[in-house]
Amino acid sequence: MQNLSRIQVENVTVTYNGKVALHGATLSLNKGSIAGLVGMNGSGKSTLFKAIMGFVQPTTGRVLINGLPIRQAQKRGLVAYVPQSEEVDWNFPISVSDVVMMGRYGYMNILRIPRNSDRRMVAESLERVQMTPFKDRQIGELSGGQKKRAFLARALAQQGSVILLDEPFTGVDVKTEKAIAELLIELRQQGHTILVSTHDLNSVATFCDQVVFINQTILAYGATQDVFTPENLTRTFGGVMPNVQLNQ
Amino acid sequence: MNAIVQWFVAPIQYDFMLKAVLVSAFVGMVCAVLSCYMTLKGWALMGDAVSHSVTPGVVLAYILNLPFALGAFVFGIGSVLAIGFIKSKTRIKEDTVIGLVFTGFFALGLVLISKNPSNVDLMHILFGNVLGIPMHDIIQTLVIGSITLAIILVLRKDLLLFCFDPTHAQSIGLNTTALYYTLLTLLSLTIVVALQAVGIILVVAMLVTPGAIAYLLSDRFDHMMIFAVISGIFSSVMGTYVSYYLDASTGGCIVVLQTLIFVITMILAPKHGLIARMRKQSIIE
Repeated sequence: MQNLSRIQVENVTVTYNGKVALHGATLSLNKGSIAGLVGMNGSGKSTLFKAIMGFVQPTTGRVLINGLPIRQAQKRGLVAYVPQSEEVDWNFPISVSDVVMMGRYGYMNILRIPRNSDRRMVAESLERVQMTPFKDRQIGELSGGQKKRAFLARALAQQGSVILLDEPFTGVDVKTEKAIAELLIELRQQGHTILVSTHDLNSVATFCDQVVFINQTILAYGATQDVFTPENLTRTFGGVMPNVQLNQ
Repeated sequence: MNAIVQWFVAPIQYDFMLKAVLVSAFVGMVCAVLSCYMTLKGWALMGDAVSHSVTPGVVLAYILNLPFALGAFVFGIGSVLAIGFIKSKTRIKEDTVIGLVFTGFFALGLVLISKNPSNVDLMHILFGNVLGIPMHDIIQTLVIGSITLAIILVLRKDLLLFCFDPTHAQSIGLNTTALYYTLLTLLSLTIVVALQAVGIILVVAMLVTPGAIAYLLSDRFDHMMIFAVISGIFSSVMGTYVSYYLDASTGGCIVVLQTLIFVITMILAPKHGLIARMRKQSIIE
């Protein structure tokens, strides 16, 4: 079991109403890594996310998290998801600490009454993203970066060993981007496996140690210095080399 | 002072008014609790659809001498399944499917009523009859309403998470399909509860307006629930009194009152009201 990787995607094909969204995707990510998921719109990025979260049933292949089938991984809360800002109803009558507490639901009984351990975990998670002063705010009363940090705190409270982030750098300022990147690096050092889908290729080059290229299938993946090449970028973006600094 | 007390006390000397006031208060409470979820989930149209769709079920139940709640429940769930089926199997958009299904069911109900005029009073089904509610219907309303409240009480946090972030709910292993159908079942049950008070046409107001009022008054779900229940019970009870004094439609009075409360709230709500927003705007400028 020790040799198994954190996220293991084996030859996964996903079809929606007869249309292939992802074809024969294979990917393996280890404990303690930050992987940037790079691809165009409609390249299958969100389908891969859904497959890893177990929301779509692959027509072929399988996904294992920590060597466990996806249903068992869900029951244990192993995969945490940080949504894109556009997916969230920011007017919802709910406070920051309520959101973070939702990360603990999987550990509670059916009535979802928090125990002291749950409250402690929420407080710790808020502290780690420096959101303690804002814990009683309604979520709409936060800045772009604070909103991101609130949902990141929920992922921390969930104690998922895998964290998926969908476009974490959209709509946040440079300072927040740096703070999020630092937090992700800290989480990597603690052994989390982080998969980040992003349009920001420069941030991929600077803080992701792994890169995954996707265009209907996984074209290439591996250590950033090995695979973040003009050839792979060009293949991923349909024959066009995007404008990006390659610090090699 | 005495006159005000008298205004409240005199009508409930009559047995039928006492029953009507109590049943209205109960119905107002059950509907208000569910309305919080309906407004946050954006299910007003779904509520409208299910409430109209129960019509043939109610009529058939009367004809077959079954509890009307049973017929209403079967057709309420049936309409939702029909909507889901047509939506997933054809290219037609959801709002079209909803409009198509509920009018179809409702029309079938009208046909059935017109063919059995002696058994069923059209006006009571469409507009409620809380002033003449028989004892067995009261018991039915209380039982179904209590079951509904108990289910919501147990699942309230899961339902809230389902409304707020179904993706997260699914990722921590909650069964979101089950939650979806649970919420729909609660909707059907609540409609059955509310039929007696306000009738099929106005049920949707009971399922939307208290939630909307409370949403403008609060940024916390727990507070929202409290405001909704207060406004729901208040408008139901006062509406019943007003209808007694005006000799006007009870359901109509309840919903008009509710809408008035909404309008006042919309203007005066401390943070999300129109005046508060204008003030905020002028500070910014």
